[in-house]
Amino acid sequence: MRAPATGKSLGLLVCLQCRATVRALHVAYPRCPRCYAHLYDRKPHSLALTAALLLCAAILYIPANLLPVMYTRTIFDEEQDTIMSGVLVLLHSGSWPIAVLVFIASIVVPLLKIIALSVVLFSAWRRSPRYRTQRSELFRMVEYIGRWSMLDVYAISLLVALVQIQSLAFVAVGWGALAFGAVVILTMFAARTFDERLLWETPP
Amino acid sequence: MAPASQSTRCARCRAPLQRPENGSIDAAIAVALCALILFFLSNAYPLVVIQANGATRATTLIGAAGAFYSQDHIGLGLLVFITTVLGPILQITGILYLLIPLRRGRQAPGQDTVFRLLAQVRPWIFVEVFMLGALVALVRLSAYARVIPGVALWSCGLLMFTLAALTSRTTPGQFWHWVDRCRT
Repeated sequence: MRAPATGKSLGLLVCLQCRATVRALHVAYPRCPRCYAHLYDRKPHSLALTAALLLCAAILYIPANLLPVMYTRTIFDEEQDTIMSGVLVLLHSGSWPIAVLVFIASIVVPLLKIIALSVVLFSAWRRSPRYRTQRSELFRMVEYIGRWSMLDVYAISLLVALVQIQSLAFVAVGWGALAFGAVVILTMFAARTFDERLLWETPP
Repeated sequence: MAPASQSTRCARCRAPLQRPENGSIDAAIAVALCALILFFLSNAYPLVVIQANGATRATTLIGAAGAFYSQDHIGLGLLVFITTVLGPILQITGILYLLIPLRRGRQAPGQDTVFRLLAQVRPWIFVEVFMLGALVALVRLSAYARVIPGVALWSCGLLMFTLAALTSRTTPGQFWHWVDRCRT
């Protein structure tokens, strides 16, 4: 199949904000005539920025899973919960569909997102000509599902807000929750700085 | 060029390129007003009330962000506040600000700036994720306390669908189609 013409090959730029198609001008910082956003043929420093954000997210994924996300103090004892022990608590209390949901959203999705973005980033860097359609689709899928990992952060926020019954019970936030929130934010930024079109550059 | 009423996909990577742009501006404004009302309900009433050992405690939507803040986790507090309160209200008011003058054939001052701000805010609205998180918290609490869902829980659930409808009715392509129609 003949390679379709691209905007770049025809000297056209597409505005990533309003989707206007503009003839490329040879000025230093072109702007969209319709919405005045910056225009680029490819997002600037896309591969380097995505790689840096992804590396930070991968490092923070470790404390996010090992550090406690919350402490529960009652008059009898003090417990700490990591993400995984929270899943086990739900499992033992008999609500296994919710336990599965939290397990997928909090543990599987961030890991899958980090791995999938690494694969996509590596093949864009290599300009690998194989499985390009599948990789594009993989990228769009992880970009969409990444937000669901925030589930546990919201659950903790409500538990902390509600369980403050003076001396009887008290829930405190752990540092794991912050690391966890950071993983979600960093992977979202990593997906946003990645330019999908780099997956389709001609091989060297 | 494909007609404005059709959806097209990229021939190479199958990503959606263009969605139908023949939506009604009146319907979009109506959905935005509906979202505004639901947003006020969601913030004015408690989300959940719990009762345990004779003590009662309630929280609102902002209370969830405030809980992190009160325990010196300002970063997490801001994250929850932006994704559940600030993001939705910016999107709703921003769209109303752009569309109400446009409906009468005028363009709002600073239209391009507001449009670009909205495009930056949109990916950070997590109301649907918050709803599921609330469900998880309620299930965990129901083992220890009596849990009573508040008005805001229901309005927040409706807000989640309304915001999804609003986003799909005011895509960038659709918005600039309305602007172009008003310019000619």
